[in-house]
Amino acid sequence: MSSIESPLDLIRLSISERVYVKLRSNRELRGVLHAYDQHLNMVLGQVEETVTSKEVDEETDEEIVKKSKREVDMLFVRGDVVILVSPPLKST
Amino acid sequence: MSELTKEEPPAAPAAPPPTSVTPSTYLKSILGRPILVRLHTGVTYRGILACLDGYMNIAMEQTEEYGVGGELESRYGDVFLRGNNVAFISGDTKAK
Repeated sequence: MSSIESPLDLIRLSISERVYVKLRSNRELRGVLHAYDQHLNMVLGQVEETVTSKEVDEETDEEIVKKSKREVDMLFVRGDVVILVSPPLKST
Repeated sequence: MSELTKEEPPAAPAAPPPTSVTPSTYLKSILGRPILVRLHTGVTYRGILACLDGYMNIAMEQTEEYGVGGELESRYGDVFLRGNNVAFISGDTKAK
């Protein structure tokens, strides 16, 4: 990470790579980063969107975590809903 | 009239003393060190501060994500955190 001077450099180095993006309202995206700008608006390709929801079982009072997934060919993400972007692990 | 104005005391100097610490000098001082970042949502990130910018966007290494209850949720190699979500950044004294 020595070539990084600003946090956005981390995103620049992830162009054409598969990235993980955490969004508001319990949404996650995994896809290939095609483009981004200073607002973190992004265009992702071959995206898998995961929406996580929690429900409480009426009978057992247990929390049930539900994950629903869908796939999208190409997606524009508005930057203001982005919480976190993580490039793929290079070592593993 | 001119004598009266002469007696006015000079305006107090507005500039802070040169040794003052600003938030930005603190953040620069913890570059490369273990930090703890809390978001507005209550989620906490611990890792090494790689760099940050004026928006408080943060790049971290060896990052661990902790849920609102304090449980370890996931690990990332490198992480970019968008600055608008950040509540505070602190030096992580409990890091190994």
